[in-house]
Amino acid sequence: MVAGMSVSLESIAVGHTATVADVLGDDAVALRLLEMGLTPGIVVRLVGRAPLGDPLELELRGYRLSIRRAEAARITLTAG
Amino acid sequence: MPQPSAPPSHLTVALLGNPNTGKSTLFSALAGIPTRIGNYPGVTVEEKVGRFTHRGMTIDLVDLPGSYSFTPQSPDEQVAIDVLRGRMADVSKPDCVVVAVDATNLERNLYLASQAMELGLPMVIALTLSDVAAAKGITIDDAALASRLGCPVVRVVAPTGDGVATLRERIVAAPDTPFPRPPDLSPHLSAIDGSRPQAAREAIARYAWIDRATAGIVSRSAPARRPLDERIDGWLTHRLWGTLVFIAVMLALFTSIFQLAAPLMDLISAGMDGVSAWAESVLPEGAIRSLIVDGVLAGVGGVVVFVPQIALLFLFIAILEGCGYLSRAAFLMDRLLVWAGLSGKSFIPLLSSFACAIPGIMAARTIENRRDRLLTILVAPLMSCSARLPVYLLLCGAFIPNVAFGASWLRLPAVVLVCMYAVGVIVAALVASVLSRTIFRGPPQPFVMELPGWRWPQPAVVLERVREAAWSFLKNAGTLILAMSVVIWALGSYPKPVLPAAADLTEAEQQGEALRQSFLGRAGRLIEPVVKPLGWDWRLGCAAVASFPAREVVLGTLGVIYNLGDVDPGEEEGATALVRRLKAATWDGTDRKVFTVPVALSLMVFFALCAQCASTLVIIGKETRSWFWPIVTFSYMTALAWLAAFATYQLGTALGW
Repeated sequence: MVAGMSVSLESIAVGHTATVADVLGDDAVALRLLEMGLTPGIVVRLVGRAPLGDPLELELRGYRLSIRRAEAARITLTAG
Repeated sequence: MPQPSAPPSHLTVALLGNPNTGKSTLFSALAGIPTRIGNYPGVTVEEKVGRFTHRGMTIDLVDLPGSYSFTPQSPDEQVAIDVLRGRMADVSKPDCVVVAVDATNLERNLYLASQAMELGLPMVIALTLSDVAAAKGITIDDAALASRLGCPVVRVVAPTGDGVATLRERIVAAPDTPFPRPPDLSPHLSAIDGSRPQAAREAIARYAWIDRATAGIVSRSAPARRPLDERIDGWLTHRLWGTLVFIAVMLALFTSIFQLAAPLMDLISAGMDGVSAWAESVLPEGAIRSLIVDGVLAGVGGVVVFVPQIALLFLFIAILEGCGYLSRAAFLMDRLLVWAGLSGKSFIPLLSSFACAIPGIMAARTIENRRDRLLTILVAPLMSCSARLPVYLLLCGAFIPNVAFGASWLRLPAVVLVCMYAVGVIVAALVASVLSRTIFRGPPQPFVMELPGWRWPQPAVVLERVREAAWSFLKNAGTLILAMSVVIWALGSYPKPVLPAAADLTEAEQQGEALRQSFLGRAGRLIEPVVKPLGWDWRLGCAAVASFPAREVVLGTLGVIYNLGDVDPGEEEGATALVRRLKAATWDGTDRKVFTVPVALSLMVFFALCAQCASTLVIIGKETRSWFWPIVTFSYMTALAWLAAFATYQLGTALGW
């Protein structure tokens, strides 16, 4: 991983897990994502995508959450 | 003057919790059937209050809308906060708050609970779905949790009633219990970048606090095999299998609504016919009998007949919601609906509207987002409902040439019929996408939706949904529909016709003459300049006006107005007689035929897009709590219907159809 480049949750493959680095943005959407438990350091698994590629199904903190790719693109991941 | 020393005999208790935590089941287990259901003043959020007594104490249990946090993102969540802070005019400030916390999803549920701990109210945590958690290998040390949070924690399995008695004890004792300690977020806050907004820092700090509060008291033993609900989920949200199952579920749902409701609807119709016949036999002939039979009973029957469809639809929705499929359906359909400016949650309301817009609009209650909900309600009446079908069938059968279209088995009338359904869907998509980019333009609406675990729907909750939907429909639409039907009856019956004394008219001809001379007939002639560009004569205009209460009325009106007795669209003989009469109809004083292919098409397109349904408009008014939106719906749909009918007629005439 190149330093300074950030990978978002949108780009990981189905079935893979990743660790949340941060949620970008200061708006209500960012806040709701944090409130739903997508906080820095938490491990998320991409369970699947809807038939047309959007939205995504995630697993975190022992439950399932669906968000659109636009929202997933704002969730950066820690390298490694 | 209340005695300060006397123990209180009445408690107001708020029931708070995330959506999908078994909160409704817990409400039923504690309080049974709600004593009060309505809307909170000024908002479309449902207010549900139940009452029970325990140890001589009367407890009013206020079921708050499911919420994820105290920074509200929907009117529902705002209401929850307002009630808890004592800012809701209708409800007294709660004496105690019960927080339903899903044991299978402890961390995220404790987020809301930790905010509730800051309210300065006595609090009891009900650890719901403990049995499901146990089956998943999750064990929670509830005693340790209670001591860390500083409030009682009661393990409940609401469907079986386990723990409910203990919960009642804790509620009654709550006023004497110390308040929970508000969570101390400061050590966590100091570790977070100070440039972020306070709310975001607090959210991160709160989860850090939760992680520490639950450390060591939740243990997960990995189940021997992949849990069942995970495997089900894998299939039902799969790209191919998920789509196929989805189509199968929807087909099953709608065929059963039609199939199962049909006998009940026939039964109600027959019952209403019986009542009408009885009323006709006991009442003396005259205005009173006509008012009761043609006005009141016809109007009431027209409303009651929808009840089976509404009850069935809500039964299926409640079951699908209870087991968790509804969120999967929204998940599967979201992308398609985003193109039209809607969201996945609009899917069920729109699909339901093909049966009838009324349950469809009521089903839009499941959409939390106000903008998406309003947009869905505004376009739902464009879906071709079952009341349009008889109109399409009559006109397609009578005036569209029965020739092959492409293939020999594919006939033109069937193609036109499909086109009528397509017109509604396409126009709805266009209207929604235009509105969402203009009047309803705003920041992007987030789609952050929980996919709850699979579980069995609770019969008590399901039946309550059905009962509530059927009753609110009967109560709210019934009164106004009744009034509307009486008005249309009066307009069609008065003033009494002056018949030429010597003329030897048949009864049907007399009825036709009476209608011509009535206010309704005069209105039809008055609006003739408006409907002429659509290719219609004054009688068609009159039928359109008279079908304002309900589209299907148009067949009966056409029958009367073209000098034929009242035609029941279900009777094959009557319909063919009507067809013969319509085929013979000519413009007043000429032998130019009224009904040509372009006229039939323009009439069908008009009925596909118009808002000729008083019940729908009443329900829109009821659901949006405003007269503004039904007026908007009626205006835009009528304008669109006229323009599309005009274009259809002019194009058809120009092409020489």
